[in-house]
Amino acid sequence: MIHFQARKELHTSDGPKRLEVDLRVEDGEFVTLFGESGAGKTTILRILAGLTLPESGRIEVDGSVWLDTAKKINVPVQARSIGLVFQSYNLFPNMTVRENVRFALIDPKEDNFIEELLHMVQLTELADRKPAALSAGQQQRVALVRALARRPRILLLDEPLSALDAAMREKLQDDILEIYRKFKITTIFVSHDVSEVSKMSRRMLLIKDGRIIKEGSPTEIFSPANPSGKFKFAGEIIAIEDDGIVAVVTVLVGNNPTKVVATQAERAVLRVGDKVVVASKAFNPILLKAV
Amino acid sequence: MNKLQGNIVAVKSSASMSIVDVKAGADIFSAVVLETPASAAYLRAGKTVTILFKETEVSIGKNLSGMISLRNRFPGVIKGIKTNEILAEITLAYQGLHIVSVISRRSAEKMELKEGDHVEWLVKTNEVSLLHS
Repeated sequence: MIHFQARKELHTSDGPKRLEVDLRVEDGEFVTLFGESGAGKTTILRILAGLTLPESGRIEVDGSVWLDTAKKINVPVQARSIGLVFQSYNLFPNMTVRENVRFALIDPKEDNFIEELLHMVQLTELADRKPAALSAGQQQRVALVRALARRPRILLLDEPLSALDAAMREKLQDDILEIYRKFKITTIFVSHDVSEVSKMSRRMLLIKDGRIIKEGSPTEIFSPANPSGKFKFAGEIIAIEDDGIVAVVTVLVGNNPTKVVATQAERAVLRVGDKVVVASKAFNPILLKAV
Repeated sequence: MNKLQGNIVAVKSSASMSIVDVKAGADIFSAVVLETPASAAYLRAGKTVTILFKETEVSIGKNLSGMISLRNRFPGVIKGIKTNEILAEITLAYQGLHIVSVISRRSAEKMELKEGDHVEWLVKTNEVSLLHS
């Protein structure tokens, strides 16, 4: 289990804020940190990874103390068992895909493990190419398996997919989930995308102004209350077409644009970009077997 | 979304669903929900809930006779009608509140609906959602 406590001044575009977080993550859990930029999500990951030092704090991972400012304990980055993936891939341009992954190995003899990782994200065929010859999504897959090559105890993913297009993003979401299921690795995922969070995690923490203000499943957090409807998905409004009496609101649920008819009164409070919950009685949807 | 406040007065359940009677003002509304008191603690007599139903699920009846399966059937007076090419939005006065119905413009014209008409509005029980705190 991870027990993370930290306090630190945040310098955001809205001026200084206090980060004050006390969070626990169970062994093998997949947790998402969700919030606007400047909320402190990345700072939490950086403190956990040892890249940023808080003013005060304590981090304990499976019984070993990584940080205790009161006792002046601060385990360095390379000694913390962590795999990190950021939005930018930071691959070595002069090395091939395979060499990039091998570089991260602790035991250089684990060639089979490299091949297994490359196979998992369909990079076997591309393993001898240099990063520049790969698409953005492929490069991010290299970064992802490189982070796993050290067999870390914790995988930290800081908005790894936000620079990718929708189709590539969905593919990588599936890869990350497959890796998570296979390795049962404790994963902390940072995102500010409602549909992504809903797909990826059972538990999420809503971070605002340096604090955890809500905790629960994505559906619990994104629903304003609890309608008894069972057909319920979190999404984001991407278009609103007015048609006099009603408006047709397009909501992106996962990567599927879904259309919902709203009356003028409902429509009046909705804007493109709003996070919403699409709910319906379980009686209305029709199921057609896919061929 | 039409919204009414009420209190649960009765819950009858099968293995996976319940029919919930909610008293709102003088009337009793019924909702079929895919929950039971065992799976959802709010399903008990006395609990305050908000009844929700979409405008497009509200039917309008005028001089209705005979039997009809819709259990939620209440009187209202037409306060306003707005139309576009396809749809008509009918605003009804009901127990000091407004209920809005969106039906086809054809139906509104065929029924010769106009302001001041005394009509009935109807909602199927499986179109009613319950919101609880």
